[in-house]
Amino acid sequence: MKKYLTLTRAGIIEALQFRLSFVVIVVGNLLYLTVIYFLWKAIYASAGADRVNGMTFTDTLIYLVLATALFNFMEMYTVWEIGRSIQSGKIVLDIIKPMPYRRYLFWSFTGSFVTQFFLTFLPTFIVVCILTHGTIRFGVNIPLFILSVTMGIIINYSIDFIVGTICLYTESIWGINIMKQVIVLLFSGAVIPVAFFPETFKKVTFCLPFRAIYDAPLSILLSQGTSYPDLLHMFFVQLIWCVVMTAVSVLFWNVSLRQITVNGG
Amino acid sequence: MDNNEKPVIELKNISKEFKVLNRHEGLKGSIRDLFSRDYRTVKAVDDVSMTVNQGEIVGYLGPNGAGKSTTIKMMTGVLEPTSGQILVRGNVPYLHRSENAQNIGVVFGQRSQLWWALPLIESFRILKDIYGISDQAYKDIQDLYRSLVDIEDLLHKPVRQMSLGQRTLSDILAAFLHDPAIVFLDEPTIGLDVSMKAKIRELICELNNKRNTTVILTTHDMGDVDALCRRIVIIDRGKKLYDNDIEHLKGFFGSYRTLKVRMDGDLKKKALKVQNEFPSLSVTGDDEWISVLVDESRDRVVDVLEKLQQSHNIKDMQLEEISTEEVIKKIYEGAASPSSDSEGA
Repeated sequence: MKKYLTLTRAGIIEALQFRLSFVVIVVGNLLYLTVIYFLWKAIYASAGADRVNGMTFTDTLIYLVLATALFNFMEMYTVWEIGRSIQSGKIVLDIIKPMPYRRYLFWSFTGSFVTQFFLTFLPTFIVVCILTHGTIRFGVNIPLFILSVTMGIIINYSIDFIVGTICLYTESIWGINIMKQVIVLLFSGAVIPVAFFPETFKKVTFCLPFRAIYDAPLSILLSQGTSYPDLLHMFFVQLIWCVVMTAVSVLFWNVSLRQITVNGG
Repeated sequence: MDNNEKPVIELKNISKEFKVLNRHEGLKGSIRDLFSRDYRTVKAVDDVSMTVNQGEIVGYLGPNGAGKSTTIKMMTGVLEPTSGQILVRGNVPYLHRSENAQNIGVVFGQRSQLWWALPLIESFRILKDIYGISDQAYKDIQDLYRSLVDIEDLLHKPVRQMSLGQRTLSDILAAFLHDPAIVFLDEPTIGLDVSMKAKIRELICELNNKRNTTVILTTHDMGDVDALCRRIVIIDRGKKLYDNDIEHLKGFFGSYRTLKVRMDGDLKKKALKVQNEFPSLSVTGDDEWISVLVDESRDRVVDVLEKLQQSHNIKDMQLEEISTEEVIKKIYEGAASPSSDSEGA
């Protein structure tokens, strides 16, 4: 365990070296949230109803603000990282560390999970709590949310890792990564709440793993009248995805690694 | 160096093939390539066998694209050989990548395994935990490093602010940190100045001495080879051409020396004249010197010089040993065009 935690520690120190980037992230988010605010205000105004798809304007806004915060903290740009080290050939050095590459890379990212959690997610969450005067309950949903986020991180990482592995074959990253990002953002409910999707689209979404990244933890956190069986069901589905995606990414990587050619040098 | 005879690396008939897409030229060709299934097989390494013992420093040489890095990648466990058997300390590297990693250290000249944004000491601490180095062993190796190089300044400097030489030095120290049985150095002195090169050679030599670490060194710098390696292995187009002592390599090519003389007039024309006088020797002329290659087992350099002096007014002269570099160049050239290897050598 020590050899993994040391990577977390290194990640934290590394993240703290770049102070200015936090300012940029915070300012960028504020701008994005302003756009979201006015966009959805307009949507609700044109709908002429207090509730659209069972969600009030405040519900939607809380959902999207927290989704953005969650995205900032969970998105590790794994695909870029893998792609870049494939292209530069640095991946060779990472592969021959005395631990599996998939784990090595994951734990290298954990440091920035920790810093991003404290520097972006937590402040946003506190602000939302204060501004909405107790719309968010504090009960079982909090520990469940934490577990759910952890699984979300693992699922997200597995998906990224699978896409990163594809880069071993294509040796290019840009297009694949953009496609992945759009798909994940759309189907995970990070840009539009899943409740707003048309019925058939919703059905598709429920069959895909992406919803388990952002929508599941957020639904658990913001659950109001939702019954425990429902929460547990969502939780269980997430757990299954977590296991499946991890297994697929490990297998895919192991198979791919046997047929790669590492460039240069 | 007591357990010299214990093999740490064994390669048996190793081959590695890559499938490469046959690319076509131009826009039309590129579009065709998108759907092409026209692959050709390239043999990067072709039936190479060798055994390396504990504590040896082996120079692994060959022209660019000869298959050196591919071999190293197979020994480190990154690549799986197409056929043949590799054992590194009894391990099959690609099957037991993590176990193998504990036994090896790697430096690739142009890449760094260090944490870019952090001071060197942090990278060392991370590596200590990753490789599970005990506190005592960590302290010992630090003490050894202190006795060999001036690392105090380096330890607290972020790696990104280091010069190339400092970074290479740090990377070598990092590779030796967990006291591996084998260290692979892939062009460690590339792009460094003379004094840094000397420093790095000395460091490698000392570490090999003190820790009895096996070193596999690839380089294009013959200075590295002369300073460090007793044994060299030469590979070209995936095939092993030579595997023996460095002294043997020179002996193999006879005791050649080059006699260089300078005289008045057009040296290129004179060179032809000299060639006529010594039909058995190889004579070349450039703008500065006329070079005569003398095989000392047949002719004496002094005799040649004396004979030259009788018919020409010699203004200056030099005597050169044939260098390892030239010998290797001859081997490469011989490999590239097998018909011409009788010339000169």
